[in-house]
Amino acid sequence: MRIAVDWTRCDGHGLCARLLAESVVEDEWGFPVVLSPAVTEHQVTDARRAVAACPRLALRLDP
Amino acid sequence: MTSTLPVPTVPPVRRAALPPVAAIGAPRVLLGAVDGTGVGRRVDLAHHRHLHGARPSYGWEQLVAAARAVRLLGRGGAAFPVADKLAGVRRGRRTWVVVNGSEGEPASWKDRVVMRLVPHLVVDGALAVADALGTTRVVLVVEDPESRASLHRALAERLDAAHVTLREAAGTFVGGEVRAVVQHLDGRAAVPPGRPVLPTVAGVGGAPTFASNVETFAQLGLLVLLGPGRFAHVGSAAEPGTTLVTAVGDVAWPGVIEVPTGLPVADVLGVSPAPRPFLLGGYHGTWVGEPGGLRIERPGLRAAGLRWNAGVLARVPERGCALAEVASVGAWLAEGSSGQCGPCVLGLPSLATDLRALLSGHDVRAALERRGRLLPGRGACAHPDGAAGFTLSALDVWRDEVATHLARGTCGRPYLTALPLPVTGGAR
Repeated sequence: MRIAVDWTRCDGHGLCARLLAESVVEDEWGFPVVLSPAVTEHQVTDARRAVAACPRLALRLDP
Repeated sequence: MTSTLPVPTVPPVRRAALPPVAAIGAPRVLLGAVDGTGVGRRVDLAHHRHLHGARPSYGWEQLVAAARAVRLLGRGGAAFPVADKLAGVRRGRRTWVVVNGSEGEPASWKDRVVMRLVPHLVVDGALAVADALGTTRVVLVVEDPESRASLHRALAERLDAAHVTLREAAGTFVGGEVRAVVQHLDGRAAVPPGRPVLPTVAGVGGAPTFASNVETFAQLGLLVLLGPGRFAHVGSAAEPGTTLVTAVGDVAWPGVIEVPTGLPVADVLGVSPAPRPFLLGGYHGTWVGEPGGLRIERPGLRAAGLRWNAGVLARVPERGCALAEVASVGAWLAEGSSGQCGPCVLGLPSLATDLRALLSGHDVRAALERRGRLLPGRGACAHPDGAAGFTLSALDVWRDEVATHLARGTCGRPYLTALPLPVTGGAR
């Protein structure tokens, strides 16, 4: 699975960067930079949690 | 901050007048339109049929096979294989055929040249696709009023195009992106959707849609009129046929020229006493140090890490300030953000500001590079990717020019507007 962002929805709330610190950092405006989109098995739970936490429903997991 | 941009406002571009039109080798798309004087001639229906004959009927399998045989690639920018797109769209009466004549890139003129001078080739191509897909839903989406008028006349001249409709394009740069065109046709804002949707699957009104650029349809028209054998008679093996180039600035062949694929880039640019950087692929393209052995052929350029996009080649005259050209295009690209995606809305203006600062001698190279490298892949469309590629490659090939500006705050050369920008400024 891969982390994907709907950039038309994202407002840079930053929850994904906090919940997925290994693979997502923030740029200077607080928008996510997905360093490693591929989700490993041990990251799946955290990734799903981040998707659920996104207040703009902008984060998703693509197959 | 003060700027060395001598003329920060952009002089008007006369959108009405066509640039010179020519061909290297025998014209094919522009057959009948090129007369050696540079002034193009419009080919009406009688002349078109005299030159090309009647349009033969092609079934779906036959058209897919023909497009595959000549390795036809889309001429809008993505260079997607036309045969794959044709094979990937569901056939039937619900299916739409969309001819994208937006041509939102200010430096590009080739689609307007095709629509104004050889409209019947575009209509032949659109009808060939519609017939093969078993549909009568055909729409041409065009911004340029003169191109619309030419196509309107062409449709009125024909007896086989009563079902073809003509729509006005949104008139923005990003609005010319194919998924934005589909949104526009559905009455929504002409911006790309945030989730990946393929028009071939869910396009106009949710129906399967074959959408492509004007030149693609003209080439498809030529393909059915010539047949794949004669179509592939000229050009390179990897991408047979001809292609249309808009050459801008200090070049050997300024204007819109039809060339056989595989032609050396240097043949269009012409010799220059010392190698000078040029822009390949327009304002979403790449600055290149020198043409070397580069050839005009999409697969070869892609292998070299370059994108041909809509086919613009440009070289800034030596007496002009290249960095001012880059900064002005950078500002236009920033205004061209459709305003949907944060990294583009904030990132592109910051790139533009950095370029302006560089021009007046402030060393912001590190910030520029860092910001530019973060842009690709972070938007609903490829606008941030294209803008980043344009800016970062400029920083690389114009490093001596940049060093001069950093040392002296100016290069002493004027801003020539060699890279054309629209009057209104901004791509929105």
